[in-house]
Amino acid sequence: MTKKQITIALAGNANVGKSVIFNHLTGMHQHIGNWPGKTVEKAEGTLKFEDYTIDIIDLPGIYSLSTFSIEELITREYIAKEKPDLVINVIDASVLERNLFFTLQLVELETPIIIALNQMDMAKKKGIEINEIKLEARLGIPVIPTIAPSQEGIHDLLKAAVDVVKKRLPTTTAIRYGEEIENRIQKLEEFVQRFELLYPSRWVAIKLLEGDKQIEEMMEKVGRKALSLAKKLREEIENIHGHSSSTVVTSERYEVAGNIAREVQRIVPPKTPQLRNRLHALTTHRIAGYPIMAAMVLLIFFAIFSFGDYTSGLINDLFLSFEPFFKSVCGGGVLGELLWGGVAEGLIAGITIVLPYLLPFYLALHLLEDSGYLSRIAFLMDNLMHKIGLHGKAFIPMMLGFGCNVSACLGCRILETERERLIAIFVVTLVPCAATTVIVLGLVGAHVGFQWALLLYLVNFLVIFALGRIAFKSLPGEPTGLIMEMHDYRVPHMETVTKQTWFMLKEFVKMAFPLIIVGSFVVKLIQVVNLLEPIADFLSPITVVWMGLPAITGIALIFGILRKELALVMLATLLGTADLSQAPGFGPVQMIVFALVAMLYIPCISTIAVLARELGWRKAWIITIFEVVFAIVMGGLAYRLLIFANIWP
Amino acid sequence: MELPLTKLRPGETAVIISTNSPPLNPHKHHHRIRSTTAGSAKIGRHYNFHKRLEDMGLTPGTQIKVVRSAPFHGPLELHVRGSRLALGRGMAERILVRVER
Ligand SMILES: Nc1nc2c(ncn2[C@@H]2O[C@H](COP(=O)(O)OP(=O)(O)OP(=O)(O)O)[C@@H](O)[C@H]2O)c(=O)[nH]1
Ligand SMILES: [Mg+2]
Repeated sequence: MTKKQITIALAGNANVGKSVIFNHLTGMHQHIGNWPGKTVEKAEGTLKFEDYTIDIIDLPGIYSLSTFSIEELITREYIAKEKPDLVINVIDASVLERNLFFTLQLVELETPIIIALNQMDMAKKKGIEINEIKLEARLGIPVIPTIAPSQEGIHDLLKAAVDVVKKRLPTTTAIRYGEEIENRIQKLEEFVQRFELLYPSRWVAIKLLEGDKQIEEMMEKVGRKALSLAKKLREEIENIHGHSSSTVVTSERYEVAGNIAREVQRIVPPKTPQLRNRLHALTTHRIAGYPIMAAMVLLIFFAIFSFGDYTSGLINDLFLSFEPFFKSVCGGGVLGELLWGGVAEGLIAGITIVLPYLLPFYLALHLLEDSGYLSRIAFLMDNLMHKIGLHGKAFIPMMLGFGCNVSACLGCRILETERERLIAIFVVTLVPCAATTVIVLGLVGAHVGFQWALLLYLVNFLVIFALGRIAFKSLPGEPTGLIMEMHDYRVPHMETVTKQTWFMLKEFVKMAFPLIIVGSFVVKLIQVVNLLEPIADFLSPITVVWMGLPAITGIALIFGILRKELALVMLATLLGTADLSQAPGFGPVQMIVFALVAMLYIPCISTIAVLARELGWRKAWIITIFEVVFAIVMGGLAYRLLIFANIWP
Repeated sequence: MELPLTKLRPGETAVIISTNSPPLNPHKHHHRIRSTTAGSAKIGRHYNFHKRLEDMGLTPGTQIKVVRSAPFHGPLELHVRGSRLALGRGMAERILVRVER
């Protein structure tokens, strides 16, 4: 038997379940959640099936192949240029009509496809019954019903996919439009056939009638004459219908999608009001929606804090009881000092301060994401976001920024224009990420008081708003508006949630702990060779004189550039204790100032890298340097204010 | 009766006449929208909100229901083609609908 290699791409509307299927097939960990626009870059994985090696590609979710957002561009170019052997069009059975609109466009691209009719359980809950045999016959494409999270139908899907590739089933005939359009499509198609085209000729003809800019540019190069013909035909259509020709084509395509949907589905809505609909009404209510949102956020932070504080104490006690034993093993002297005081202290600080807060944090974030609440918050916050030149959808990457700024910066790609992405990315780098939360809760929350931690967040939000507004006012251009599908609430799929949480924690440990170990060792080494003080002294005009912090914090903050939580871990190592309330010269005022600076002062090194990737190095440096200076200024001001207020004499 | 979408009461159903009509009172809200081409940037250069609306299923002749609106001139929640959409007010103002009252 020969080994064979095939490529299969997953494409479809946003939030239909492509990544769940992708993860099942490849064992990878693509971002999953219940809101549209998570996958922003194509991902690749492989799998073995029978005697095939299959490359699976996860594409961003899109609604059309025409509006030319980044995601649409990625998908369109991928399918047209890389020509996968097969596209699995994943569709949401509970929103059939909208999904079929996209399917019809894939069919027009003349790529071999099969359909994964996903979300069958949701459709059933909404009283939608779909006759998949009829759908299959109507489209001339194999249709496989699936429920992705519980892997129902996934095996059949794979089998059908390989079958189609093996047998090279003919692609189906595209939809036929109304006569006025259809005639003109054919006329134009005949004309463009003579040129060297990257895409199928019928598709090019349709796109030209729709006035697709990219295709027009392509034709400009290979066959200018087609453009004038297209223009003439477009005008004819406009005269007949009284709408732009692009509107007419889109309308007719939706018409066909709607007709197919009505033919194959039967809807008997459940009589009793459904919990998810009531929840939706409540959480988007014009008055109640806002207090509910505030309460949710507070509750989540309080839960994270309580859990973290409690377990952190528990683990710390546990480790302390090991200390005499460990010291006796390592022995005294320089080596013992390096190992215990450096590496072990660093590790203990990492485990006791960081993990207890991180675990509930990731869990909460994933629960929130998988429920579908994020898109409701985006709906509620649309108004406020307009004040900083963005719209509601931009609030989603901001919330993801609480987890990690890096993925949140990438998430800003769901925004429509360059300018909005720039503002949003800038704002996202100011959002306190999970590591920063560890510092705020683990230091200020635990040793000064939960209300002070909350105050810090409040200050942070005000800063975000103020700086966002300044950025908005100083960047020319007009804001766009919100268009977003709000998907039904779902009971979070626990297996998915725990898997994702576990994966994030694992990644964290893999990334952070080696750094912690090396970092702590380096710090101790510097200390042993007596270089600690010169460096600390060098920074002291800023740290000591301006911000009133112990000189040693300068070194901790430098480590925070690598990863933010390192600032706290290194501080513990430097001060020689994981219980920071015992450290001399580091009282409540210093803790608050330190945490504030850590919140604002720099996007960590990975964030800087992703900034450079998304915006270019110049903008990345401007943002970074600005934030460092800004944080230092804020730190000094906060110090003076707190001393002036004289709360802790 | 022909109205901009924003003038519908929550719960009312209407039919779209056009999605590209000029806003009635452009000064009232600053949430204006871009309906032509975007700035100089390479990607998103051809971004066109009017087209986006149509791709999301808001084409002339489509039945549309306003479910609710967020306060302080916030976005609208719509039911279109069996799905639930959030739509910013700036764009909703440009959608002209016909409603039976
Ligand atoms: N009930 C139910 N939920 C599903 C099903 N398939 C996916 N989901 C959920 O739907 C949501 C979206 O799934 P994803 O795989 O992230 O969707 P996607 O298509 O990759 O979305 P984007 O990357 O945003 O385009 C997640 O919350 C999944 O748990 C299904 O068959 N039934
Ligand atoms: Mg995805």
